[in-house]
Amino acid sequence: MIAYLAELGKLHFTPEEMEKMAIEMTNIIEIMDTVKEIDVEYDALADNKNIYLNDLREDVKADSFPTEKILQNAVNDENCFVVPKVVE
Amino acid sequence: MDYSQFTIETLRSMLDRKEISAPELTQGYLDRIAKYDDTIKSYITVTPELAMTDAQAAQKKIDAGTGGLLCGIPMAIKDNICTEGIRTTCASRMLEEFIPPYNATVMEKLKAQNIVMLGKASMDEFAMGGSTQTSAFAKTRNPFHTECVPGGSSGGSAACVSASLAAAALGSDTGGSIRQPAAFCGVTGLKPTYGRVSRYGLVAFASSLDQIGPIAKNARDCAWILGSIAGYDPHDGTVSKRAVDDYTAKLGKDIHGLKIALPKEFYAEGIDAEVRETVMKAAKTYEEMGVELIECSMPSLKYAVAAYYLISSAEASSNLSRYDGIKFGHRSKIGDTFNELICNSRGEGFGDEVKRRILLGNYALSSGYYDAYYGKALALKQRIAAEYARIFETCDVILTPTTPSVAYTVHENISDPVKMYQADICTVTVNIASLPAISTTCGYNAAGMPIGMSIVGKQFDEATILQVADAFEQQFTPVAPVL
Repeated sequence: MIAYLAELGKLHFTPEEMEKMAIEMTNIIEIMDTVKEIDVEYDALADNKNIYLNDLREDVKADSFPTEKILQNAVNDENCFVVPKVVE
Repeated sequence: MDYSQFTIETLRSMLDRKEISAPELTQGYLDRIAKYDDTIKSYITVTPELAMTDAQAAQKKIDAGTGGLLCGIPMAIKDNICTEGIRTTCASRMLEEFIPPYNATVMEKLKAQNIVMLGKASMDEFAMGGSTQTSAFAKTRNPFHTECVPGGSSGGSAACVSASLAAAALGSDTGGSIRQPAAFCGVTGLKPTYGRVSRYGLVAFASSLDQIGPIAKNARDCAWILGSIAGYDPHDGTVSKRAVDDYTAKLGKDIHGLKIALPKEFYAEGIDAEVRETVMKAAKTYEEMGVELIECSMPSLKYAVAAYYLISSAEASSNLSRYDGIKFGHRSKIGDTFNELICNSRGEGFGDEVKRRILLGNYALSSGYYDAYYGKALALKQRIAAEYARIFETCDVILTPTTPSVAYTVHENISDPVKMYQADICTVTVNIASLPAISTTCGYNAAGMPIGMSIVGKQFDEATILQVADAFEQQFTPVAPVL
């Protein structure tokens, strides 16, 4: 199960880390299981009524962030994000 | 000069009367940081040159008589609030080198007031934790006892205010991350109503629960800061358009006739006896001020920790999926394929607690478990909000302990996630129900460690909880930590 969750979360673990994490997650999920004790139903309709939503803001043209500022935190080449080869 | 006595209100008066200049005051705080922060470790990044530039700009405003309430006030900013051009790490290896290309809205608002930013305060990694010991860079210590934790996740913010290494700070609160460290460090922290303060530029943890708020020496200072950061923001669709109150308006006004509810479950087994007795003593103090105390009940409290962790982890697992090592954040040197690169970048960049939350969130949301966990947690969220609404039919505010115990040592609990999660029992329901709450110091235990009490208010009624906290503070003499 932990291996499946790690795959979903795109997290690499060593076998030792995986073993430790499995023990910790078992203990954590025991706590989470307390929600099963109570008989209560989620009312999505009520939630939709309660959610506060602002009016949509005006569609006003605004400046974009400068490319160099966005790319300063990435590996970049000729103003492009660089990724490993994705097409065989 | 005794920096422990420097509230924002005091500093405002000193600056305006020219008893001290903004650059002198800033240098004073920077000197204290240089002297004490090797031990306290409250900052991840100190920005002395920028602080002096801010201070000089503030002084010009003060000299011209055009400065705002916070003009020239030296503040620390939690390191999950984006600051343009200044490293914002979220206390994570994942964002160790991240330079935000923009300011969070709260930073823009504070800069408009000409505050002096001293630096970025430490925290639990991605705000996940209650000890600041999951920080990848600065495992902050409690100024009252440096073998103890400062709480978390805004532990750096609370510790630096407590140790007078900043006049005030901003923190963020998803399940108690402003109030719990404020209680552990003997200062005052306010978590505003969800939607009162813009989250634009706050690194997202659990978007339906996160709120930015102030940590300061007292409630009055919190009122000044909240008034400066609250309000509509076109960048955040969840911010209310409701007018921002004058949060100082009720301060000092008689609280005679107010009704304070005490939910019995918050004073039950599991709460340290000294904490319970000290908060009950504070309740009696309120009674002597003419307040009516009302007993009440919140039967669903025992499910609150599980509901909170399921909802917040589900949202975190989604929010943190953006860290792929490509656009920003840590990029592994290992990985020939796209999938390998992402898995290795995240495996290397995130710490253990963040990984646990991602796994838990994926578990709660995964096929076959969704209804039993996430769906149930949402149902409990509605139940808890309804229980609060019922209690508020008969009272103005609710009084609870902020934490089940005082600050523990750095050797306790930290390695046991289950114990750490259960310690959040007194704070998480406020986030679940989108309510405002303030924690202020109400006493000290036999060892001299601070004890905090929380005053919870109705949605958008920050003015009343500030009034009630201030009323207690006016007759209480806080103790400053000896550094």
